[in-house]
Amino acid sequence: MSADRREFIKRGIGALATLAVGEVILLTPGEAGAVKNFWGSHVARPNATKKGFKRVVNDYSRATKVKSVCLNCSTVCGIEGFVIDNKVVKVRGNPEDPNVGSFMACAKGQSGPTINDYPERVLFPLKRVGKRGEGLWKRITWDEAYDEIAQRIQKCIDEKVPEQVAFQQGRSRIAAETAHFMNAIGSNTILNHRALCSLNKRAANYISLGETDWESVDAENCKYFLNFGSNFYEAHQGGFHLLKRVIKARYDHGAKLVTFDVRLSNTAGRSDDWFAPFPGTEGAIALAMAHVIMNAGQYDKEFLKKWTNFGPEQLLAWLKPYTPEWAAKLSGLEAKDIKRVALEFAAQRPAVAAFTNRGSMAHYNGLNNDRAVIMLNAIVGSIGRVGGYCYGELEKLDAAIFPPPEPQPPAAKTRTDLEDPPEWPIANRWQKMKVGQIVYDYIKRGRGKVQVYLSYTVGSPMTWPEGRSLAVEVLSDEKLIPFHACSDVVYSEMAHYADMILPDATYLERWGLDIRNNLELRPYVTLRQAMVKPAGEARSFADSMFDIGRRLAPNAAKYFEFGSHVDFVKSQCANIPKGDSASGFEYMQKHGVYTDMTLPKGYEIFMKAIKADQLEGARVDDKTQVIYRTGKDGKEKPIGVMVDGIARRGFATPSRKFEIHCPEVTKLSAKVGIEVDGLPSYIPIPSHENLPSERFVLTTFKWNVHTQARTATQKYLSEIVHDNPMWINAGVAKKLGLKTGDWVEVTTFRPKGHTYEATGEMLGSAKIPVFVTEGIHPRVLAVSNSVGYFVAGRAATGKQTIRDDFPGYGPTPKNDDLSQHVWWDPARGGRGNGYNINAVLPIQPSPVSGMQAWYDTVCEIRKTEKPATRV
Amino acid sequence: MALPTKPKYSMALDLERCTGCHACSVACKVENHVPLGHFRTKVYYLDEGKFPKTTRNFLPTLCMQCEDAPCLKACPTSSISKGSDGIVRINANTCDGIGCCEDACPYGAIYIDPVANVADKCDFCTHRLEQGMQPACVETCPADVLVFGDLNDPESPISKFKAKHGSQLSVLKEKERTKPSVMYRSKNPATLAKLEKKVPKGRNHDPFSYEIDTWAQMESQFSPTNQEREHQAAKKGDKA
Repeated sequence: MSADRREFIKRGIGALATLAVGEVILLTPGEAGAVKNFWGSHVARPNATKKGFKRVVNDYSRATKVKSVCLNCSTVCGIEGFVIDNKVVKVRGNPEDPNVGSFMACAKGQSGPTINDYPERVLFPLKRVGKRGEGLWKRITWDEAYDEIAQRIQKCIDEKVPEQVAFQQGRSRIAAETAHFMNAIGSNTILNHRALCSLNKRAANYISLGETDWESVDAENCKYFLNFGSNFYEAHQGGFHLLKRVIKARYDHGAKLVTFDVRLSNTAGRSDDWFAPFPGTEGAIALAMAHVIMNAGQYDKEFLKKWTNFGPEQLLAWLKPYTPEWAAKLSGLEAKDIKRVALEFAAQRPAVAAFTNRGSMAHYNGLNNDRAVIMLNAIVGSIGRVGGYCYGELEKLDAAIFPPPEPQPPAAKTRTDLEDPPEWPIANRWQKMKVGQIVYDYIKRGRGKVQVYLSYTVGSPMTWPEGRSLAVEVLSDEKLIPFHACSDVVYSEMAHYADMILPDATYLERWGLDIRNNLELRPYVTLRQAMVKPAGEARSFADSMFDIGRRLAPNAAKYFEFGSHVDFVKSQCANIPKGDSASGFEYMQKHGVYTDMTLPKGYEIFMKAIKADQLEGARVDDKTQVIYRTGKDGKEKPIGVMVDGIARRGFATPSRKFEIHCPEVTKLSAKVGIEVDGLPSYIPIPSHENLPSERFVLTTFKWNVHTQARTATQKYLSEIVHDNPMWINAGVAKKLGLKTGDWVEVTTFRPKGHTYEATGEMLGSAKIPVFVTEGIHPRVLAVSNSVGYFVAGRAATGKQTIRDDFPGYGPTPKNDDLSQHVWWDPARGGRGNGYNINAVLPIQPSPVSGMQAWYDTVCEIRKTEKPATRV
Repeated sequence: MALPTKPKYSMALDLERCTGCHACSVACKVENHVPLGHFRTKVYYLDEGKFPKTTRNFLPTLCMQCEDAPCLKACPTSSISKGSDGIVRINANTCDGIGCCEDACPYGAIYIDPVANVADKCDFCTHRLEQGMQPACVETCPADVLVFGDLNDPESPISKFKAKHGSQLSVLKEKERTKPSVMYRSKNPATLAKLEKKVPKGRNHDPFSYEIDTWAQMESQFSPTNQEREHQAAKKGDKA
């Protein structure tokens, strides 16, 4: 052992160094991905046996149980944490949560407690002192931080440009809190990630059903699952809620699962049938299946006639050209397979469900792909039926039911192109989904001016297309973004480009009311509560917002007199029945969730009869039989439809029917010069037409242990997946002389057609190793997201280093296995921490809706040498 | 009336239901504070078949709680014992961390805790059983893959599972003659035979069998890794 090393270890033990207020530190992503001044060399510490060190065994007899909600992905799973000595030692599922119904929790959920203890958490408010992105920070007090942010916001208010205060969030789950804050300021510039996530899926459900943005397949009763591009065995959005029920349906009740995916995901690999279509042809397959089912007479005549706006005769005529042979040619599948699966599906009706996710909808033509798939459910009459394609009523935190504290600020009235870009008229039609991927370009072009940029639960340099180029360019430019305050748990890539870092509480340390669709088909609501106090000086960002709000001028500050975030949540719980507790809030604290399981399941919501009192003063349109009523605002609104002489609720669409044909889409598309027939017709992807044989389609995907920019810092998750080699079909690899571990240079191209920067020109290139597999379509390459960080600590960067106690972060743990057991560290022969592929994916919002066409990117590859360093 | 008997714990894993989600392995690591690079529970992947007829299979593994446990025989300090409850346990107070048990285990189920310097492995979360809880892996599984309970109780999940699927149950590496108490239900014995080759013998972890790009690869002999070399060197040093 060298003298230096001895010195290092000696200083490391017991000494808790604290960064004093005003003291400066350097957090730099250097060659080693390390933080200067404190990282050791890459030599593993010899087996550091500590005399008397005993393995820790959780003593549950001392534990306190706290109910809450996970936020390690977006699925919204009820959890309960075990707390011993103000430390969350364990998390498991909350059986009272209807979606969860047991102690189950996924790998990410289980990993939750490791976030609280991550040695590289930011624990003090920091202010930039060097150049932006240089990494030089000074510790400041919360008062200093809040004062400066409040002053900058107040300036925008005083200058009558409140919209220049922009709030950029990801999956924050504090939408009500954010709205309260931003309305008080008077700004509508709330930017999000929805167009990078689920926009087309939601839009397709709104168009078809009107009622919901996310279906709730009645999975446990379902007999046949037709899965177009959803990897629900691994990824969130349904996630374990759906997985658990599908497993029961398959192995306890004999249901079949058929999956269409370009890549062998765990879902595909365990399906009864896996079909790998050419990317973006899912809609064609669905249309051909509709053709087969209709022509075989295997459809639900009554549903089609009474409950859709496009009858069987019209359907048959329109579907005529969409033959299985036509779809086979486009998709590469066999026509006989399309026929077989279609008829198997229809034979089990109505207990069947055809559903989608990003595999079908993150394309240029994704909106219609998803509409075509959802239409299959209407054709076989499975909409809202037992075992079918169901949906719920209460899936949003309606302020009328969950009231925020009074006084509530009036809704902000500003509008900018940043949150409401006119080029994508569907994006904000049903909910404000927005088109997040174009925001940085619009800021750069001056289409929206920003003075104060607040970021929360978002890592656009990592997760945005062109994130490492355009997003970083704009985030780095002090003229375009004069002030950026970032709230994050770790020193993330977003924080790196900020002017101020507000250390955030983890989701196990903070509050929030939450809700999503319930697969038990009953309304429910769930509470996220702080299990422990935040580490160090970390504070929940909602509390930071409210503290900032109180520092604004009185006409804005008056909206924040209610107190802290927990007070906000208490107000939201005011109408929740108190049950066995003293109040609705206390009931939620005790149970973590409110639902009424004695209610009947919400099947066939469209059949609900409208009560007589609701029909008072209503008018029935002669031609359409739609029932209209004039609201308090004097506007006439459809409330139901007459079917067989009975006034029924119908669907929340303009026609109150399931809309196969949507005239509004035609109207909105015409606004931006696009002519469409309003039907879920197949739209070819322009950049895929006549694709030269040497070009491929580059897709991305998510692992079961990772969630975008959230999880790489969690050591047990990064231990399982840290690297992301590029999947390539074995036959193709053989032709190209590639074997697993060889390196290629991938060059990507911009899209063509009616989209952003549709030049078809080269965008960028990256060097990446390949993984040769039988589990991918020959024309497709796949690289996972969620890895490839250059900051955010040792677990995320895959660097095994001994650290001393470091001012700014917490103390080195007594048992710091990141100092010697990061076996994937390249310095000890490991694979490293992967590559952020989003850097070379073009911004490509799909026409009219704006959903990022993640899986359309055209690319070329060539064999290359392994680079000396990998960034 | 049956007299209350002492429990005899056992587990069966229904591979047909497994989705490879890793919830069991992460639950185990958090529960038992298992250091990186060391595992009590692990999930292996295997891809089979040529495109487009490709499938994926999973194998969650843990200590097999063998009737005839090689680790027990190999331990020079008699620190490993098999309880009447069916659980093989390590006495951390007498274990000297020399690692003969790790070398002897055909299932890669034992590791030497690098800080406490004691052998450690799955004990069906004994500390949880004592509190009336299930093992962490069992509790967290969304698909009811891990079936656990008392074989002496005919109403326990494991007894019921055995009664229902007894003929379909097998053990890993039967040739090792260790008589594992942990059983597997697989509809594809040939696939299971391939999968068990991924489970390293005489070592707890080999990145080769665990990395995401070795799913379709099978090797009976693992290539030595840096970690193994380090490990062996360290062990030799300890022994010297």
